[in-house]
Amino acid sequence: MIRTRLRYHRPDRPDDAAALLAEHHGRVAVLAGGSQLLPRMNRGETDVDHVVDLRGLGLRGIERTGGRVRLGAMVTYEDAIASPLLADAVPLLPRVARGVTGGRQLTGHATLVGALCHAFPGTDMPGALSALGATVELHGPSGPRSVPVSEFLLGAQEIDRRAGEFVAAVTVDGVARSGYCKVKHATGSWPIATASAVDDGDALTVTLGAVQARPLRIVIPDPTRAAVDDAVAAAVTAPWTDVLAPGDYRARIAPVVARRALTELREGARA
Amino acid sequence: MTAVEPRADSDAVPDRDLALTVNGRRRRVRVEDRQLLVDVLRDNLGMTGTHIGCAGGDCGACTVRMDGQITKSCLVLAASAEGADITTIEGYSPRGTLDHVQQAFWDLDAFQCGFCLPGHLFAVRDLLDRDPDPGEDDIREALRGNLCRCTGYVNLVAAAGEAARREREDQER
Repeated sequence: MIRTRLRYHRPDRPDDAAALLAEHHGRVAVLAGGSQLLPRMNRGETDVDHVVDLRGLGLRGIERTGGRVRLGAMVTYEDAIASPLLADAVPLLPRVARGVTGGRQLTGHATLVGALCHAFPGTDMPGALSALGATVELHGPSGPRSVPVSEFLLGAQEIDRRAGEFVAAVTVDGVARSGYCKVKHATGSWPIATASAVDDGDALTVTLGAVQARPLRIVIPDPTRAAVDDAVAAAVTAPWTDVLAPGDYRARIAPVVARRALTELREGARA
Repeated sequence: MTAVEPRADSDAVPDRDLALTVNGRRRRVRVEDRQLLVDVLRDNLGMTGTHIGCAGGDCGACTVRMDGQITKSCLVLAASAEGADITTIEGYSPRGTLDHVQQAFWDLDAFQCGFCLPGHLFAVRDLLDRDPDPGEDDIREALRGNLCRCTGYVNLVAAAGEAARREREDQER
């Protein structure tokens, strides 16, 4: 059970949410799907007196905006899997969402943006959204602010979110050609290493997730095995260690994971 | 000697009245804002068939159906569930009857201690409502949010397939 004297807020306007977050800054958490926040509060790892629930703000849309696709903060993994727009324009996101563990009891509530905001290294979304060149759209007391995901993710569980702000949406590039690979101990485990391969027409990149504190986006000028291995080995300088795997293991498997993502991009997902 | 002044509101835990429909019955309960839905179902409403295994979203023993969608009730703050329509294992099938999933679980020894059982039943029911003829991979995928620590998954998977077969047979009659 949660032991703090928690007060629950469900604003129905973005400005009201920002005002609540500003008023209780330092003692408040943003609630979206709750799948990471509530267990943390249960375990006493997140100790706040207020939660501001975003579900009253209507942020569950997936829509085209110019050449990009915007996902609201309340879009769940199941929404991503069911979206014809994503299947067509950004298939990497449903591909990643299908591999998220926890069952439909969890993936029907847990949100892509929430996972990004927790910025826990051993998760899928920070890497996948970095691969897609996501822009993070925040809303705060002085209005909206946009930040590239590479600047939003500051470190393990550290994001660029200022007093009173919440993330309202992310926008991503439409990228039809992509591949994904994830290594984990079992179906129910958190990832040890992920790789998102993306070919946006200009460049071929592989973005490693769960390998370092922040995702690593690596340009692949030459997709031959030796060249990929060299590029990845050079990029991985401070591999992440947690209970699932030591850093040197992650560094060792990173090139293989990268190559498998590139293979999937080239040949399609294995049945 | 001065008396210690009580801090304003220091002992007050924020609470509220919550309206829910649980197993078809409208309920009003007084809940603390910090209470999880699973705790309200068990402690305030006496629905103790909803189990608490991990309280972290891993094991699935607390699964209920909420507004038509299976949900881990340890991952829901009760206050956020205002107005929700919830089915717990007590309301899973009409009193005194077993549906095909329950009967197949019984017939094929798909559970041992029964702690994880409510969650597995909801997960299989959810699968069969979407897909009347699932393959083994589909069944295993549908069960990935539920952990069993007694028996393993072989009989669970077999029972889910058998339940699907019996339901299809019923449909064809």
